[in-house]
Amino acid sequence: MMLTRHPSPRLAAYIDRQLPARKARQTEIHLANCAHCRAECEQVRLGMAALEHLPVIEAPAEIWASIERASQERRARQPVMSGRWRLAFAALLILALVGAVYWAVGNRSGIRWEVVRLAGSPVVGSQRIQAAGRIGAGEWIETDSASRATVRIGEIGSVEVEPNTRVRVAVACPAEHRLALARGEIHAKISAPPRLFFVDTSAGTAVDLGCEYALKVDADGYGRLQVTRGWVSFQWRDLESLVPAGASCWTRAQAGPGIPYFDDALESVKQALVRFSFEKGGDDDLSIILAGSRVRDTLTLWHLLSRVPGADRGLVFDRIAALTPVPAGVSREQALKLDPETLKLWKEELAWTW
Amino acid sequence: MVPLSDREISAEIIESCRLGDRDAFRALYDLYKDRVYSISLYFFHGDQAAASDVTQQVFLKLMTGIGQFRGDAEFSTWLYRMVANACTDAARRRKSDAVLPDHPVEAIAGPASQEEDYARAQIARSVRAAVAALPPKFRIAVLLRYFDELSYEQMAKALHCSMGTVASRLSRGHKILAERLTGLVRSSAE
Amino acid sequence: MLRLGIAACALAVLVLAEGFTFNLASPVASQDFHAKAAAFVFRTQGCAEPAKAQISGTAEGIVNGVHKSVALKIVSMSKPGVYAVYREWPAEGEWLVNLKGTCADASAGAIVPIGPKGFIRESSRILQHPATEAEIDAALKALTTGGGK
Repeated sequence: MMLTRHPSPRLAAYIDRQLPARKARQTEIHLANCAHCRAECEQVRLGMAALEHLPVIEAPAEIWASIERASQERRARQPVMSGRWRLAFAALLILALVGAVYWAVGNRSGIRWEVVRLAGSPVVGSQRIQAAGRIGAGEWIETDSASRATVRIGEIGSVEVEPNTRVRVAVACPAEHRLALARGEIHAKISAPPRLFFVDTSAGTAVDLGCEYALKVDADGYGRLQVTRGWVSFQWRDLESLVPAGASCWTRAQAGPGIPYFDDALESVKQALVRFSFEKGGDDDLSIILAGSRVRDTLTLWHLLSRVPGADRGLVFDRIAALTPVPAGVSREQALKLDPETLKLWKEELAWTW
Repeated sequence: MVPLSDREISAEIIESCRLGDRDAFRALYDLYKDRVYSISLYFFHGDQAAASDVTQQVFLKLMTGIGQFRGDAEFSTWLYRMVANACTDAARRRKSDAVLPDHPVEAIAGPASQEEDYARAQIARSVRAAVAALPPKFRIAVLLRYFDELSYEQMAKALHCSMGTVASRLSRGHKILAERLTGLVRSSAE
Repeated sequence: MLRLGIAACALAVLVLAEGFTFNLASPVASQDFHAKAAAFVFRTQGCAEPAKAQISGTAEGIVNGVHKSVALKIVSMSKPGVYAVYREWPAEGEWLVNLKGTCADASAGAIVPIGPKGFIRESSRILQHPATEAEIDAALKALTTGGGK
């Protein structure tokens, strides 16, 4: 059947095979019988072919830098008071939503992780388990001084719950596996793409980037993250510490992650880092850290750069530069300004010494 | 080991972006930046400043709004909706859209056109001018179709119109291009 | 294109000046989560076309006094020129990884002792040639006598 109306508006769709089969067939028949439309179709094809002369152009590098700057300015402009109120409101809203979601997801999905007793009688939900049990979203595991347990985290790994630990399953679904560690210690072994497994604490969130690690928190909110394989990001508000295998990071409630350090760093350096991160450590502590740093301690120094007062950044930069060559593309000026692109590039290169 | 495909990277990275990972956002930016920039650049007839502004604007909005997304299928549509809106808004604000100067080839030529001989460079210049002279609604449709393989359904969502309208704009837009470039394009296609 | 050509020449000069070599690191340096379970990662340097470098490796170990050798699958990471080495050798015994590579006419090698916490950077040797049997034997001896740790 031939269309009585010329299919001009549909020619591009016909050429691109975006028409339903019936319309495409009708158009085809029409074109076979209409020279005018055939000519028009040819023109549309030529117009499409003309665009082949337009190559993809690489976006200039400065666009990213301007995006980062604008993003930082935006964050800096948020007033502290309204930020806090917003945070409080958001926290309340989230609690309410999360409660509903946990119930809905936990019940709807029915996903419950296996818990295996390793020692003693861990409590799962409201019951002591003797051999094994199951735990779903919203439920707690609690161990006393004599008990331990292993939780199989979906299909991605497992977490060992050490004695005197209280931890809750916050989310249990294929796209997100989240625990909340109230106190105690857990050892996580995760085998999955990054950012599928999270542990919330009062000091922030450990974000799995592919790893094995131990995370502990005491009743006062003091904690420590120690990574044995892969690497973990510990985040709290705008603070982020990247902790690779062989390194650790102290954490503190309402202060977030401290500056990470390798476990074989000098004791004097580690102690100075604690004072610097959480106890308003000053010039003496900075001097100890700088003087005691080795090449691989550029992990610590890189994080330190953005946590020292502006006037001291030069000292940190110079120390890193003395330990390992500064790569092309990293300028002292930009590093001291904490230019995100510069710091990222530098971190990527320094990681080859960690 | 098989490298991750664009699609796998995109879905994973989008998820990471939703969780606030800046490195993942950078990866997402790297994946789409050139297409977004190219669409903007040709929309504004080679005006790098305008293209850079649009690109920055789009990705800043994306950074703040990425939490809305649930899956990769929705993402391109949303991204290019922002690109289309940013381009057409900027075009409306500009004093004279019809008499944009042709920015020098050297300023915007990518590696491919550097390899072309003079004749091809001239064709490219003519095509750019013809595209820039299209009415904005046709221009953005033509560029979106060319630089990203969106379906008409996706384009309809990105452009806030029906699929029929998408088809109509593409048909008319390409036809106008062919009319303006008669002889030039035909000879290069043979 | 001209700029590309000049850059290529400059890079060629750089290659000749610096030489083809390896740079070892722990998995975090790869920026690739696929490497998280790797024993270590490494990258090539001084190679004009990293994707075309020929890389191979074996694990050499002493198990109950006997020298064993295991061919390794060196896995490319998402960034060209970056590779991961996974533990494909047995848990018992003392082991090192022997890497070799070629880029155009240049060669490089590395002897990477493995300890309980991963590769031992301080004892690793980067070579301008594939390691000889004598060099591997010496490194294994150092490992087994505790000198490599």
